[in-house]
Amino acid sequence: MKPDVTKSGNRILPWLALAGGLLFLFPALYSIFMSFQTVDAYYTGTLDFTLENYQLAIGQFHFARYLFNSLIVSGTVTVMGLASATMAAFAFARFRFAGGNLLFAAVVATLMIPSHISLIPNYLSLARVGLLDTYAGLILPAISNGFAAFFLRQYIRGIPVALDEAAYMDGATPLQVLWRVIVPIARPAIFSMGLFIFISEWNSYIWPLVAVGDEDLYTLQVGLARLYKVNPGEDVVNWPLVMAASTITILPILLGFIFVERHLVRGITMGAVK
Amino acid sequence: MFSRLTPYLLVLPLMSFIAVFTYIPIAASINLSFREWDFLSPTMPFVGLENYRLLLSSHEFWNSVRVTALFAVISVPIRLGLALMVASYLVRETLPSRLLRGALFLPSVTSTVSIAVVFSWMFATDYGMVNAFLVSLGLGRVPWLQDPQLALWVVIIVNTWKQLGYDIVIYIAGLQAVPQELYDAAAVDGGRKGHVFRRVTVPLVMPTTYFLLVVSVIEAFQIFTIVDVMTKGGPAGATDMLVNMLYRVGFTLFDIGQGSALAVLLFILLIALALFKSRVLGRRVHYEA
Repeated sequence: MKPDVTKSGNRILPWLALAGGLLFLFPALYSIFMSFQTVDAYYTGTLDFTLENYQLAIGQFHFARYLFNSLIVSGTVTVMGLASATMAAFAFARFRFAGGNLLFAAVVATLMIPSHISLIPNYLSLARVGLLDTYAGLILPAISNGFAAFFLRQYIRGIPVALDEAAYMDGATPLQVLWRVIVPIARPAIFSMGLFIFISEWNSYIWPLVAVGDEDLYTLQVGLARLYKVNPGEDVVNWPLVMAASTITILPILLGFIFVERHLVRGITMGAVK
Repeated sequence: MFSRLTPYLLVLPLMSFIAVFTYIPIAASINLSFREWDFLSPTMPFVGLENYRLLLSSHEFWNSVRVTALFAVISVPIRLGLALMVASYLVRETLPSRLLRGALFLPSVTSTVSIAVVFSWMFATDYGMVNAFLVSLGLGRVPWLQDPQLALWVVIIVNTWKQLGYDIVIYIAGLQAVPQELYDAAAVDGGRKGHVFRRVTVPLVMPTTYFLLVVSVIEAFQIFTIVDVMTKGGPAGATDMLVNMLYRVGFTLFDIGQGSALAVLLFILLIALALFKSRVLGRRVHYEA
C-alpha cells in the first residue's frame, strides 16, 4: 500500500514479521515445549526433557484411544458429508425438478440455523433409538453440511454443461457424469470442503460432550477437557501431562495445516465473499 | 435420457439428514418448551408458557443475557478493529506477509479446547505465565479467573486470539477487491498513512465489515467451549453465557422444558440477526461501480 519502504526496512521487515508471528503463537509454542519437560523441571524452572508425559497421556490416560475415536468420527463425517453434499450439489446445479428450488432454499437456510437448537432433541431421539454412546451417535447428526452443498453447487454451476452433454451422448448415466466429469473438475473445491468439514468435526466439542458418557468413546476434545478439570484459576498437579495431551489433540491439524493453508483460506474466503 | 427420479435420489441423503437432525429438532424444541419433563418421568405434561415465564423471571437468565451481550459488544469491535489494522499491513503478497498471515490464522483452525486449556495455564494464579511476568516486574499475582471483574476479560482475550486470524483473512480478501488506483490517488494527494486508512480503507471495506460484524455477533452469542473449559460460567456467574446455561439446565439439571425454552429464545434471536444480515448484505455488497 505504501511504496516508500526503505532498503533497510525491506531487510528488517521479514524478521519483524517472524518475531511478531512467534510472539503471537507463543502460548501454543510454549505449551508444546512444556509437554516435553519433566514435572520437576517445570516446577523448579530447570531444563530436563522427557517423553514420559506422552507415554502417560497415551497409555494411562487413554489418549491413543481418543485419537483413534477422533480419527474414526472425523473421517467418517468427512466422507459421508462430502458424498451427500456433492450429490445434492450436482442435482441442484444441473437438474430442474419440481420442489428443487424449495429444497435448495431449505439447504441454504440451515446456514442460519444455530446448532444449539437441536442439542436437546437430538440427544432425546438418539437416546430413544439407543444410539447414545456409539460412534453412530457421534457421527450421524454431524453429516449434513449445508455450507458444503451450497458451495459445491455454486462451483458446479461454473463448469460448462457441454461437458455433461457430451458424456450423456456417449450413453453415460447421471451418476457416471457426476463421478467421471464433475468430480474430477470440481476436485479443488471438494478438497477445500473436505478439509473444512474434517477440521470442524475434529474440533467439535459440545455434541461429543453431550452424546457420549462412555470413556471408551471420548473424542480428543472431550478427553482433554476431562483431563483438565480443576477449579478455574487453580493449578493442576501435572501441567506437562496436560500439555502433552493438548499437543496430541492439535497435532494432526497442525501438521496438515502447513500443507493445506492455501486451500483452507480459499474455502473460507469464498464462503464469505459469496 | 434418465429417470425423473434421478435428482430426488441425489438430494435424498442430504435432505434426510437435514430433516432428521436440523428441521424436526426445531419443531421438537418448540414442542418441548411447552412441557415439563425431567427426562425420566413417564409423562410430559403440557404447561403452556410456564417455562418461558420461569425463565424470564429468573435472575440466572437475565444474567446470562447480560453477560453474553456484554461479551459480544466488547469482543466484536476489538476483533474487527485489530483485524482491519493488521490486514491492511498484511495485504501485500510478500513472503513475510504470507508467513505472518499463516501464523495469525493458525489458532482459528486449532482445537478450542486446547486453546482454552493452554490459556488456563497462562492465566493460572500460582504458576501461570502472565502472573510470573507480573511478579518479575515487581507486581503482585492477579487471580484472573477467580475475580468476577476479570474473568470475562480473559474469555474475551482468548476468543480474540482464536478468531483474529479468520477476521484478518476475510478482511484481506475484502481489501484485495479494493481497486489499487484509489490508494494511488490518495498517495498522489499526499494522504498520510492514518488519514488514508480512515478515509479510504475503512469506508471501502464497509461491506466486509458488515459481513464480519453480523457473523461475529451471531458467533459470539453461541460461545460455549472456552467458557466451559476455563470458568464453567463462574466466578459467580460472571462468564455464564447463554449456551453454557442451556447446557447446564438441559444436561446437568435435566430440566428439558426450560432448557428447550431457552434454546427457542436464543434461536429466535439468532435467526433475527441472520435475517438482518442477509438483508443488509444483500443491499450493501455491490459497492463496486
